[in-house]
Amino acid sequence: MRAPILKQGKILIATVQGSLTDADLVQLREELANDVRRYRSSGVIIDVTLLDVMDSFAARTLRGINAMVRLLGATSIIVGIQPDVAFAMVQLGLTLEGSPTALDLQDGLLLLQRIQGTAAHG
Amino acid sequence: MDQQSPAMSDSPYGDVLEIGEEELAQRKAFLQFGDADVAALTGINDVARRYAGTVIEDFYAHLLAFEDTRAFFADPQVLQHVKNMQKEYFLRLTQGNYDLAYTQNRLKVGTIHERLGLPIKSYLGMYNFYLRNVAAKLIEAYDKQPAQAWSSFLSLMKLTFLDMGLAIDTYVYARERTVREQQEAIQDLPTPVLPFREGLLIVPIIGMIDAQRARQLTQQLLSSIRANRAKVVIIDITGVQTVDTRVANHMVQTVEAARLMGATVIIAGVSPEIAQTMVTLGIDLGRIATVGDLQNGVEMAEQLSGYKVTRTENPPPHSS
Repeated sequence: MRAPILKQGKILIATVQGSLTDADLVQLREELANDVRRYRSSGVIIDVTLLDVMDSFAARTLRGINAMVRLLGATSIIVGIQPDVAFAMVQLGLTLEGSPTALDLQDGLLLLQRIQGTAAHG
Repeated sequence: MDQQSPAMSDSPYGDVLEIGEEELAQRKAFLQFGDADVAALTGINDVARRYAGTVIEDFYAHLLAFEDTRAFFADPQVLQHVKNMQKEYFLRLTQGNYDLAYTQNRLKVGTIHERLGLPIKSYLGMYNFYLRNVAAKLIEAYDKQPAQAWSSFLSLMKLTFLDMGLAIDTYVYARERTVREQQEAIQDLPTPVLPFREGLLIVPIIGMIDAQRARQLTQQLLSSIRANRAKVVIIDITGVQTVDTRVANHMVQTVEAARLMGATVIIAGVSPEIAQTMVTLGIDLGRIATVGDLQNGVEMAEQLSGYKVTRTENPPPHSS
């Protein structure tokens, strides 16, 4: 099942579903890359609240999306990692190095504002 | 010693180790204890009954000759009672039917001795004395058929080792239960998660952290980050004496997991001992914010979340 991407102003919000396959993830990466360019987005939020398992491929793809979005001049934030998922991830050594994270969509939007606010002023 | 009243020893002693049919069969197979042994043992039942009195007397004479074991039989009434029990036990060895009821009885006997605090060394020593004493009696009874004496003795030895195995199991079981109970007690130590400003939590940890408690702490911490929408968490480890590699690594993982959930963790109150241990163990806390004490931790947390605390010029007078 592919992840829907919502456009909200200059921000793209992708909601990852629980049953995302590796192919869906790759497709999400491609679509996000295209959409960031097409809509001149400044931020991407990937909401993984519904994800109950994060394997190494998913973690690597998310890091890839983060790096890719940064190359395109925008910021991406991963939100909604569940407590169990978070702990399982660090045990597997999947720490999403370099990706900003936030508790949920609300906090993610605030964090995005803050990051972009400092970038704009400083 | 009054624990050994007949009523008590007949009733099950609370939770006692259980041995199943299959386990018993395995134990017998390992000792190569078969029908021939049962026949041999029931065959010497007459001899056992003939010598029971002397064997038991010798047995207690031996026990009473040593300080360690004498202490258990100070009361003559008690002594008489245990002698009777011992005789029953001794005769049971040659009465066949070495079934689950038999093992249950042996386990109960083992548990009674464990509760009394009889050391394993004395327990095994008693078995050894039994075997040597009975061997002498068998040779005497079968002086014309030494081969038969020897083979019945071997059968008896197998059965005795079965009993010894059961007895030691009761000791091991009791200790395991103690360890389990202590672990449960430690787990029940509450670790409160205290919200002290919006989005700020303090988690004071007191006492010993083992792997299990560390795991539990992590779960509790990560779910309270979610429940309180926490941005910064201060873990205060002033009350923690020691940290081993596993626990330290676990702590590092917890901090990383909290970051994945969008929260920053500050570790406060690292004692000089723990700091040294961490360095010696080569644990890298480089990416984790650590501060000396809780005050520094609170200040850092406030700074991170944009709080600015100032003292007013004229504090209001205390109402008390």
